[in-house]
Amino acid sequence: MNIFPFNLEPSLCFYVVVYVLTLVLHAIFMTYVLAGSIYLAWASMFPGKTAIVRARSPLAEVLRDWMPFALSAAITAGVAPLLFVQIIYRQEFYTSNLLLGWRWMMVVPVLIVGFYLLYVVKSKLISQWSLAARGAVTVGVAGCFLFVAFCWTANHLLGIDAARWPDVYATGAVVSSVVSLASRLMMWVSGAFPVMCMLALWQLVYYRRRATDVASVDRQHSGPQFVSEIRVLARMGLGGLALSLMFATGYAFTLDAQIRGEFISDGIVWAPFLVVGGVFQATGWFRLLKSEGDSFAIRVLISVGCLSMLVAVGFLREMLRISKVDLTVVNASVKAAAGVGGFELFVGFTILNIGLMAYCIRLVNRRTTGE
Amino acid sequence: MIRNVHASRLIEMHMSHIYPVNDYGPLMPGLVMAAVAIFHVFLAQFAVGGGFLLCYFQWLSMTGRNQYAKLFVHGYFKVLVMISFVMGALTGVGIWFTSIQISAPTIGEMVFNFHWIWATEWSFFCLEIVAGYCFYRYHDRLTDKAALTLLVLYTFAAWASLFWINGILAWQLTPGSWVESRSIADGFFNPSFWPSLFFRTIVCLTLASLAGCVLVNMIPNLDRPAQQSLVNRAAHLMAPMVAMPILGVWFLMAMPPDSRGWVLGGSPAMMLFFMISVGASVAIGGYAVIGLWMQRLYINGATATLLLLLAFGATAGGEFVREGSRKPYSIRHVVYSSGILPEEVAELRRIGCVSNDPFPLMHEPGLPNETVTLGAKVFRRQCAVCHTMEGSNAVAHLTESWDADQMRMNIAKLQQTKPFMPPFAGTPAELEALVSYILWVQDDRPSEYAVSEDQAVLQQIAKWMDEAGTQAATVTSMEREKR
Repeated sequence: MNIFPFNLEPSLCFYVVVYVLTLVLHAIFMTYVLAGSIYLAWASMFPGKTAIVRARSPLAEVLRDWMPFALSAAITAGVAPLLFVQIIYRQEFYTSNLLLGWRWMMVVPVLIVGFYLLYVVKSKLISQWSLAARGAVTVGVAGCFLFVAFCWTANHLLGIDAARWPDVYATGAVVSSVVSLASRLMMWVSGAFPVMCMLALWQLVYYRRRATDVASVDRQHSGPQFVSEIRVLARMGLGGLALSLMFATGYAFTLDAQIRGEFISDGIVWAPFLVVGGVFQATGWFRLLKSEGDSFAIRVLISVGCLSMLVAVGFLREMLRISKVDLTVVNASVKAAAGVGGFELFVGFTILNIGLMAYCIRLVNRRTTGE
Repeated sequence: MIRNVHASRLIEMHMSHIYPVNDYGPLMPGLVMAAVAIFHVFLAQFAVGGGFLLCYFQWLSMTGRNQYAKLFVHGYFKVLVMISFVMGALTGVGIWFTSIQISAPTIGEMVFNFHWIWATEWSFFCLEIVAGYCFYRYHDRLTDKAALTLLVLYTFAAWASLFWINGILAWQLTPGSWVESRSIADGFFNPSFWPSLFFRTIVCLTLASLAGCVLVNMIPNLDRPAQQSLVNRAAHLMAPMVAMPILGVWFLMAMPPDSRGWVLGGSPAMMLFFMISVGASVAIGGYAVIGLWMQRLYINGATATLLLLLAFGATAGGEFVREGSRKPYSIRHVVYSSGILPEEVAELRRIGCVSNDPFPLMHEPGLPNETVTLGAKVFRRQCAVCHTMEGSNAVAHLTESWDADQMRMNIAKLQQTKPFMPPFAGTPAELEALVSYILWVQDDRPSEYAVSEDQAVLQQIAKWMDEAGTQAATVTSMEREKR
């Protein structure tokens, strides 16, 4: 079967699948934080002229409220793909880490700053600050996450460009092609918006129904405001989708012709997932833009489209990366890794812990004193 | 050979992949690692102990044993989230990034051999975050029983994270029978696993207890008797400290004899840090037993903070000892502290350690000739993880009283000169180049510098290297004992 990743050696195929699935889980939370922080920065800088300023809108309130948790979840979920990337691409990943040097080491302190600023943004205190101060904080938060996004993009591009390593070490110039880096970075940044909008859509609907958790959101969940917020989400979702498609096309043109050919031959199985995912999302967002409310079916359509695209992009991303490594070495290394044992342990405890996490959520839904 | 060569290491050996080395100025990379690691360990252990303390206080509140306990639970958990969820989680990622910067082969081997253990730990980390965040967000609306359930799940998950990571960290020092069997169970439940786990658990409880004492003093509108009752309750978590001496001895006995030797006097620096750790622990334990239990004293914020700082010192000392006592390895019998594998040494002595190093020298301008340039590359490959040339742990300083011949012999027989050093892993010409580089630096980096081209010197170096062999002093002495 010449379809990626099933055309790889069984061990490598297994690790690539596990890596991509855990990466998608990470990406769901990561995109929420990245796009959410950019939206909040924009809403603070450009409050608009409507009755409720953008920074006080239900969408902004929900984002502010949930972004610290989403960042926590993104970091936690990110540990697993960070683990498996070291199994598959040990030399490439480590070398690009080292070549990025201080920039890479800055990722953690920048994330810490961004994390604490998210709590500042969430606090009641910030509403008493001047517009400039609020703007500075929210732009600062978005800047932190954009820097991290830049580092990961640069890391990825360096990892697949082994021929440049000595030159990068000598010059410190980690970016070989601004076009390549910018198009790839923008593809992820703009692609983050549809995912964030999908999650925020579920949240807004949830709050509208429960009408308990965030007082200001509840107040503003009356019909017209809710519809207006849904349309904001639809516009952002559609815009992000279109931009990510545009930047992805741009990025594809920076690749070697041979790699593009492999994309078409080995990666063809993922094309329907991309196309169907895009069509599902576009249809859902258009319906929301034109109608006076939402429906469960539309939300499911958008969500399935989002997940479908994320999984497809995840596998295509790895197809490109694997085409750049020495498969003989990677196959031997991954095969040896598969033999060290412990997988059953992981499966057993993961099932247990998923059950316990579900129990926690059920507990807070049922065992509150108010009910 | 002490054991069979492992598949992954064979691969790495055959590829002889050389990673770029970053320069940290006067700081040796090991110090950067130590700083991040100590900070993270302190926070992570605080997070684990915090869970136990919160469960205890929630129980006190539910059973009516302390009417202020609930107030404390809600306040303490916010601090725990702000510190451990943010700083703890991120410095954990930071350790991974820093490890890669310092010794990619070491972290690579750890991940390679225990990635499913790490993945299992990750699933507990997810539970910790979910249970913790559920409590953080909804605690004021939860029934007491539901709150306690969430806290118990949070604590279970946090401690389980410690359980899994402890196995991997202990394996670095005492791989035990894993060396022969390659069984993941042998590696995980290695000789220092249990004493290390129990010891760390007690440290967790102590840190949480001390942080609790600090926090009690920060709760507004709480009168002195109320504060004192909370402080005395928090101090109960320090009770297990009485077991620390026994566990400490158990851990020392589980250590390899040579590592134990460094700690108990063989290495002045390690002995010093060990004593700092022991001294700080005795001071905290003594205060807890005499002041907080026997005399039921009140402890104010300043004293509690001071004790917490002492605990930080104890943690730092302990972690330094744990890291340092592995020498000459970063993973015993698996990777040397230089990042070179034991099996590579013989081959590198044949082909040279920098013969396929593609990375140019960046941080040493004005090198006068090819030999000194080669020496600088050898230094970067073999020494730069633990040493600088003129900053901390400086080679130029450590060798300044040696003449050239003495330097040649001491480096050629490095594992015998200093048993906590790995054997030199390069050709005689590379060793001579390293000596030239060190002497050039000691001579204030002149623009022109004459180097020895005497073949007899190289032959003598080769003879010394052959006499010392390619194995670490620890292995040689173990084999001698076996014979």
